[in-house]
Amino acid sequence: MSNFVISVFGTDRPGIVASVSKALFESGCDVRDVSQTTLQTEFAGIFVVCAPESLDLAGLARKLEEDLIPYGLAVFVKPMGAGKADAHAGKSEPFVITAMGPDRLGLVAGITEVMAGFGVNIVNLKAIFRGGDDPRRNIMIYEVNIPYGLDQAEFRDALTRRAEELELDLSIQHRDIFEEINRI
Amino acid sequence: MLTEREVLSTLEMLKSEHLDVRTVTLGVSLLDCSSHDPDIFMTRIREKILSLAKDLVKICNEVGDKYGIPVVNKRISVSPVAVIGAGLSSKDLVKTARVMDQSAEEVGIDFIGGFSALVEKGLARGDLSLIEAMPEALSETKRVCASVNVASTRAGINMDAVYLMGKTIKSAAQASASSDGLACAKICVFANIPQDIPFMAGAYLGIGEPDAVINVGVSGPGVVKKAIDRARAAKESLHLGELSEIIKRTAYKVTRVGELIGREVASRLEVPFGVVDLSLAPTPNVGDSVGEIFQSLGLGCIGVPGSTALLAMLNDAVKKGGAFASSYVGGLSGAFIPVSEDLNIAEAAEKGFLTIEKLEALTSVCSVGLDMVAIPGDTSPETISAIIADEMAIGVMNKKTTAARLIPVPGKKAGEKAFFGGLLGEATIISVRDGESHDFIRMGGRIPAPIQSLVN
Repeated sequence: MSNFVISVFGTDRPGIVASVSKALFESGCDVRDVSQTTLQTEFAGIFVVCAPESLDLAGLARKLEEDLIPYGLAVFVKPMGAGKADAHAGKSEPFVITAMGPDRLGLVAGITEVMAGFGVNIVNLKAIFRGGDDPRRNIMIYEVNIPYGLDQAEFRDALTRRAEELELDLSIQHRDIFEEINRI
Repeated sequence: MLTEREVLSTLEMLKSEHLDVRTVTLGVSLLDCSSHDPDIFMTRIREKILSLAKDLVKICNEVGDKYGIPVVNKRISVSPVAVIGAGLSSKDLVKTARVMDQSAEEVGIDFIGGFSALVEKGLARGDLSLIEAMPEALSETKRVCASVNVASTRAGINMDAVYLMGKTIKSAAQASASSDGLACAKICVFANIPQDIPFMAGAYLGIGEPDAVINVGVSGPGVVKKAIDRARAAKESLHLGELSEIIKRTAYKVTRVGELIGREVASRLEVPFGVVDLSLAPTPNVGDSVGEIFQSLGLGCIGVPGSTALLAMLNDAVKKGGAFASSYVGGLSGAFIPVSEDLNIAEAAEKGFLTIEKLEALTSVCSVGLDMVAIPGDTSPETISAIIADEMAIGVMNKKTTAARLIPVPGKKAGEKAFFGGLLGEATIISVRDGESHDFIRMGGRIPAPIQSLVN
């Protein structure tokens, strides 16, 4: 049995997940994880599947392309990485970093460069840029894992400095505060 | 995965609605500091406060940074000084207040409470010494706060103590005349005082409390007001039941913040977590006002007819939401209406909508009523005592806490302004009907406990 990762992209409409899962079913693939999101008009889905031994990467890719390209969907298939899924678990703390401000080029690049430099892993990102100077129209929300042992003050300082350079209002807060306030 | 709405609504509460933890108060038991030798007694007090509280401010700031929620005030409450220093003279207790003040300064906090006595059933020697020490102690120190419990549902009202406090408040005002009677802003007279109040000036650590404990005072009038404003903007026809539900949900959120931060501070200080006090505590900042909630709920200002009913609903909704959010609720847990500390309430007093009598009525449905009320400097001790007695009666008969923090501003008359500075704010002096209560107050004795005290 081989594990594959399948990414599917296309303009959102009813029936995309049904089309993909039908093709996978007909190929004998066992779906292990699925996640989808839509950004503006565009759908993106990622499927982790376990394929039968008789089906190789090229065969699976061919089958999916035959079934999905006619519906205007783009497909990308790759073998599953070898790393453990929970490689960071227990070694980091979850924080939420929010940044908002006037729109300009390089905001995500500027912020994420600092995160990468400190080994801070992004586990979820939602960014909306509608342009203009209204901060509420240009927002980035990063859910990140900050490794234990990292000098948090130094990380905060570096990130805050970068945010100031980019004219962003930035907050770094432990994830628990959002859960405590919003969820029972 | 958090939703965008969860993140942004939380940020909004922080950035524009003054969501914060109003106070993290470290309770420090001083019962083991007693000594017949005043010097040993004071040395022990200083050493114990410094050893337990040396990291309080640093830890509160670190935890505040971690969650992005500021801990506005870090404070200390101690065992009632009248109990632990019962054998000392009033002069030694003034020195004790100075030691408390210096210790508070050394650990970087702005107020230390517990210069207190519990006298609802009678005045012991230590109580008399402490009350005698109050005018000098509170006018010569910056950070020390005092409270005296003169009444309880179980004991009735100690009218001798009420009269003594009327006279003491007058003396304290004179002793701090150059600052508009500021010493009186640090004296609270209580009925049914809780043992675990984190808020000043009434905070002290009860006899039944642990050696050290963290109590948290949450706040959030700005958050409640904005939630009401948003709901009413979205749907004009909301009725009061629906608005009460919105207040309840908001109080839940605010309380969760206090609980989370309080528990982490307690854990890092390695002391037990005590209670969350669910009080809506305002500051003199625009947007952080209990009075503004009255306007959001359709009254012209606090004090007009309808105010008592509105406050009853507000207070009840806050308690219901908060009680669900925290396992241990205590302290005062009710809306505060401190006249000088709330810009909007101070304005209502200035315009004449808020009288002593209306404040007293509001007390029947909230935690403290006559709070930071500036009255004319020539008000007699008997009239001050009579106002206190009325306030105590509401607490005693309704099995609830009430308190009076009255400031007879030396040399100033009704309509003039008193300035206390900082969080204590400024207030227009409210007129008082003086001179008709003297005989009643001078009778003294103890008003017996009411029939509702017989609950066993």
